Amino acid sequence: MSWVRAIPQIRGWRGIVGAAFSGAASSQVPRQPLRHIHLGAAAPGPAPTPSSSSSSSLVPRPPVPHEELFGPGSEAGPQDKARFVQAVRAFGQRNAHRRGHVDFIYLALRKMRDFGLERDRAAYHLLLDVFPKDVFRARSFLQRLFVHYPRQQECGVAVLEQMENHGVMPNRETEFLLLQVFGKHSHPMRKLLRMRLWFSRFRAANPFPLPRPLPRDPLRLAGLGLRRLEPDLSARITVYQTPAPPDSTDSTLSPEPDRPHIVGIQSPEQQEALGRHDPARPVFVEGPFPLWLRDQCVHYHVLRADPLPPEYRVAEETPEERNLYYPMQLDLEYGRGPWDDYEFDIDEVAEGPVFAMCIAGARDQATLARWVQGLQETNPTLAGIPVLFRLASSTREPLDSSSELAEQPPPSPPPPEGREEQEDNRRQQQGQG
Amino acid sequence: MSACGRLLRSAARSCRALAAFTSSRRPLRTSPSGRAFAKELFLGRIEKEAVFPFPEVSQDEFDEISQFVGPVEKFFSEEVDSRRIDLEGKIPNETLEKLKSLGLFGMQVPEEYGGLGLSNTMYARMGEIIGLDASIAVTLAAHQAIGLKGIILVGSEEQKAKYLPRLASGEHVAAFCLTEPASGSDAASIQTRATLSDDKKHFILNGSKVWITNGGLANIFTVFAKTKVDEADGSSKDKITAFIVERDFGGVTNGKPEDKLGIRGSNTCEVHFDNTQVPVENVLGEVGGGFKVAVNILNSGRFSMGSTVAGMLKKIIEMTAEYACTRKQFNKPLSEFGLIQEKFALMAQKAYVMESMAYLTAGMLDQPGFPDCSMEAAVVKVFSSEAAWQCVSEALQILGGSGYMRDYPYERMLRDSRILLIFEGTNEILRMYVALTGLQHAGRLLTARVKELKHGNVATIMETISRRLWDTLGRNVDMGLTGKLGAVHPSMADSAVKLEENVYYFGRTVETLLIRFGKTIVEEQMVLKRVANILINLYAMTAVLSRASRSIRSGLCNHDHEVLLANTFCTEAYYQNLLALSQLDKYSPENVDEQIKKLSRQILEKRAYICAHPLDRTS
Repeated sequence: MSWVRAIPQIRGWRGIVGAAFSGAASSQVPRQPLRHIHLGAAAPGPAPTPSSSSSSSLVPRPPVPHEELFGPGSEAGPQDKARFVQAVRAFGQRNAHRRGHVDFIYLALRKMRDFGLERDRAAYHLLLDVFPKDVFRARSFLQRLFVHYPRQQECGVAVLEQMENHGVMPNRETEFLLLQVFGKHSHPMRKLLRMRLWFSRFRAANPFPLPRPLPRDPLRLAGLGLRRLEPDLSARITVYQTPAPPDSTDSTLSPEPDRPHIVGIQSPEQQEALGRHDPARPVFVEGPFPLWLRDQCVHYHVLRADPLPPEYRVAEETPEERNLYYPMQLDLEYGRGPWDDYEFDIDEVAEGPVFAMCIAGARDQATLARWVQGLQETNPTLAGIPVLFRLASSTREPLDSSSELAEQPPPSPPPPEGREEQEDNRRQQQGQG
Repeated sequence: MSACGRLLRSAARSCRALAAFTSSRRPLRTSPSGRAFAKELFLGRIEKEAVFPFPEVSQDEFDEISQFVGPVEKFFSEEVDSRRIDLEGKIPNETLEKLKSLGLFGMQVPEEYGGLGLSNTMYARMGEIIGLDASIAVTLAAHQAIGLKGIILVGSEEQKAKYLPRLASGEHVAAFCLTEPASGSDAASIQTRATLSDDKKHFILNGSKVWITNGGLANIFTVFAKTKVDEADGSSKDKITAFIVERDFGGVTNGKPEDKLGIRGSNTCEVHFDNTQVPVENVLGEVGGGFKVAVNILNSGRFSMGSTVAGMLKKIIEMTAEYACTRKQFNKPLSEFGLIQEKFALMAQKAYVMESMAYLTAGMLDQPGFPDCSMEAAVVKVFSSEAAWQCVSEALQILGGSGYMRDYPYERMLRDSRILLIFEGTNEILRMYVALTGLQHAGRLLTARVKELKHGNVATIMETISRRLWDTLGRNVDMGLTGKLGAVHPSMADSAVKLEENVYYFGRTVETLLIRFGKTIVEEQMVLKRVANILINLYAMTAVLSRASRSIRSGLCNHDHEVLLANTFCTEAYYQNLLALSQLDKYSPENVDEQIKKLSRQILEKRAYICAHPLDRTS
């Protein structure tokens, strides 16, 4: 990157608070899926795949030095923190002057995901520690005015940017390292301050928090999804069918096709409404509808009916002899004045009632029929009601792609069972810490 | 002792013969009954005839009451061991027997059926003494204020003749069975069922009732159950019917006594009916008319709580005053500390107010023509139960640590008084009742006006606006309580003016509320609560002004103290009312209803306290 390009760009950073934050800066590591910070907003759409992001990056890629430090690719050998640490140490030992550390840091940032360290604050500190100390600190007014060591500062910002994208909150140690490396009036420092300001404010902004990491168990994942769909806290989650016994080595792989999991939810009110449903009118199983839980997509089905045509509706009236203590209705002819009507004018579309929802491992009619069968145990009236399956076949495409997504990272074969659990545990500990 | 009771009763009878009263409800005054007082307050009017002068009893009646009161008072102060009753969770049999022999199980049962036939006023007076032990008071109230009240109110002659004599003597105990596990105040969810047998001679009763006071002691139950009633158009509908059920009918069982916070001596348990055969003659009132029976019984039983609590409070004031004047700290008795003095003033004031309200209401009820005073009775119940809780708590506070100990009776009284806020209709429900009944009354009369306003009748609008302007310019409200020949004594003229002003603006506010909300005001419970609170205060102010005026005019002892109490209370209540009135104003800064609603919605959505912990950090 040339000076000519860098300086106006950095001016821009100075002027606009959110510029660096919003990712206007171009010299950063490959854009990882930004979705991570959105804590699983239910926005549908194809998830970004790692391959698509490389084109937008301005980071110089080939030739990549130091690649060998991280081992012979991701195909062989365990990829864990120890190896990553080892690689970073090896770089420090290899040349005492830390020549080429910027390139190395960019490379390490790209590699972090392979090592499963993208949410590990200590790993980022390790990278920041690679910078030589005191060298890039601005010492004079002019140095502070212009960007002192722009390439290094950009690199520092890139580290923070990746932390940001993965929702890693910088702490005092981060600040200390940045102070040592770049000094107080540097761009990485500013970036850190902004992160500290906004991260703390956005951290609890999501009204539907999800555990981090998301559970791998499809039953638990389905439970999370159903809880989000059903606002009633009295609703009960029922597992109608558990997947086949885990004879396969990996439970994350889709279970055997003849015995997919079925998890359903129903609130007492829905149960009551289904009990009152006129058996002459059919109910429908509709779906699948996608639901995004952070970067995972699950599909749900609903059991619902059409809205009652107006001629069948019975206005529910409070009987006069209802309340033993006070009148429930006033015998007045007029209602609320227009100034005290706090309701918004909303055109409400009458929708049919939803009686239950489920998330199943398979989307075929046989599986859903088993769900309806299971529902009959708690809803005896359902046995007498005709059930129609209205399953959208066109949604098959996105479904398949999403099941691929669920098994990210795609290129590497899933690690053996034991290792994975270990990793899970470690992540959980970090999440708690 | 039983001889004593019979003697008393015969004495009462001879008195009555002398006074040549024939009915069991003796008129206290001959003036025609006015319109209901509390309802008229909602229109901004004071129905003076109903509350001024304060109802008096005749000399004969006063003597009669004194005759009753003496032995009962002696019995309660000397022989009733409240501490033991509370510890054992049972009223000893000998105590119960003595209560029966004193005739206390049939206080309001007419004389021809062997009761004492007390008027409401006299019943209230007796309540004052009975209130000295809460367990006994509750047992007696469950027996006669609700248990057998149905038979007195709507029972046929045969039913009365069959059941009342033995109930009045206490040979049989009555219980009132309405509450069910799924049905508190919602009559629609009553599940107990009565089906007519094939020979149409019996109803078969099935179901369970919970929290039945006297459930384990009673032989006679007033039971409410659903029955199928054929309508005129041929369809059949489930309606509530009241039955008199004897334990001997079979299939009546009860659970073990509940372990309660207070009133531990009273017997509360579940009662189950399993295929109980109830003869059709035992239907109370009409088949399908049980709802009205239940409402009538509940409404009629409330007014006596005022005097019952007042009796307890008077006793508690005596006991704590003794302590405060003898206990010394920093070489000064507690009675010289301002914060202790304040508590006594509060207790005396509350006792005075509830006593005034209770006897005013009882006097109104004793007027000929059976005026509907259920609203006033509900006001008395709400005020006295809350005052009881507050005053007992303050009394306990005066004693400090000792009050908390079981050696002193205060903790028991505190536990006992907690139930007052809950039973006979919770205070929340009674506030709704008071507010909605009054608003219904006002709404009927204001409908025409409101309609014209809503249709934009220019004359009405102009009149309303000009009246509002006139109000804001500081209008002098005069309803004729003060001045020459005024109903209120001049020493309380200021208070009377305050009452008039409050009543006037209350009427205005009610009108505004009705215009604003119309019939949807049923949903605005926080508004209704304020309306009820104001009404309670207004009725209390009226009662104390009326009573103190009577005392000062007839020269009762310590009437200056009464005047002081009345004036103090009226001033406090006036400012409370002003605050509540301004909270009812839509745009006033005091009105935080919307915030409160939102707060609770957020909490209930998550069903938890949702604030972050004070030590939580974001990083």
